[in-house]
Amino acid sequence: MQLLARFLTLCWFVGLAACEPAPPDLPVNDRLGGDFTLTDQDGRPWGLGDARGRVVILFFGYTHCPDICPATLARVAQVQRHLREQGAAGAVQPVFITFDPQRDTAQHLKAYLPWFKADIIGLTGSDADIRAVAQRYGVVFLKSGAADRYDFTHSDFIYLLDAQGRVRKLYPADFNIDEVVNDVQTLL
Amino acid sequence: MMFKHFSESLSALALLALASTAHAGEVTVSGAWLRAVPPVSPTMAGYFELNNDSDSAVTLNGASADFAGMAMLHGTETKADGQRSMTHVDAVTLKPGESVTFAPGGKHLMLMKLSTVPPSGEVRDICLTFTDHDDLCVPFQVRHNDPNR
Ligand SMILES: [Cu+2]
Repeated sequence: MQLLARFLTLCWFVGLAACEPAPPDLPVNDRLGGDFTLTDQDGRPWGLGDARGRVVILFFGYTHCPDICPATLARVAQVQRHLREQGAAGAVQPVFITFDPQRDTAQHLKAYLPWFKADIIGLTGSDADIRAVAQRYGVVFLKSGAADRYDFTHSDFIYLLDAQGRVRKLYPADFNIDEVVNDVQTLL
Repeated sequence: MMFKHFSESLSALALLALASTAHAGEVTVSGAWLRAVPPVSPTMAGYFELNNDSDSAVTLNGASADFAGMAMLHGTETKADGQRSMTHVDAVTLKPGESVTFAPGGKHLMLMKLSTVPPSGEVRDICLTFTDHDDLCVPFQVRHNDPNR
């Protein structure tokens, strides 16, 4: 009790601002990430450098997965909607990378993604290129099942990248929408 | 007077009996919904809660829907490092009084080979099939968000 009183006096002394919880500082994660170039839904090369100056929400998945992947896409779309309401949508670029290039061709991504109304860039490429990008982000995926019907075992983190393309935070697939919106704002 | 009293308690007994038969013998499905996906999606996932209030065990072993060429029960396995995968679930047995929830990120109904992808707002019947119980055909509402979150 006495300590608290002393703390409050100190607060009063140094000014109120010092007593409010510090805004979450998002440290740069230099163990993960880095630039890459893959093929976008228009069939053109798209590199992370093309998003320089914008905050990027990066995530991996595949469109044949009906459960977690559309839910994640829908949540990312909700983040975009919130940011758009705050006039900040253009400052953020959602990027979806498939690990199923065989079925998720540029053409399929172009038909699939606009439905989410979030200006998502969909990236595909060769198996090797996608695996190389995944590796840099610590994403593991493993194909299993029959040749015509297969699924993936995969990690499903969402990455928040700052305007310089550096990884600043990771979220689980069922992330809290407000948390991401708030984090994005600290990077704008 | 005596008779009236007797008939009153009789009807009370009858009501009680009715109430208990309504309670026993029912396997019910609630909160059924389908996740809305883009029209070009090859698959859809369905969720629901299944309650066995009957006095015998029931085994859910599959599902069917007229707009899906194939329907399966799926589970989700999460490894220690956070990697997740879908697994085929052959059957789920519920003892009397037990229930099971199929929810995002866990067990789900997987609909494949879709002839159409019903849009958000539509309602489609899906039949759950059992080894030891009649099919339960219930409406699933197509929606964007989990109604339970
Ligand atoms: Cu599944």
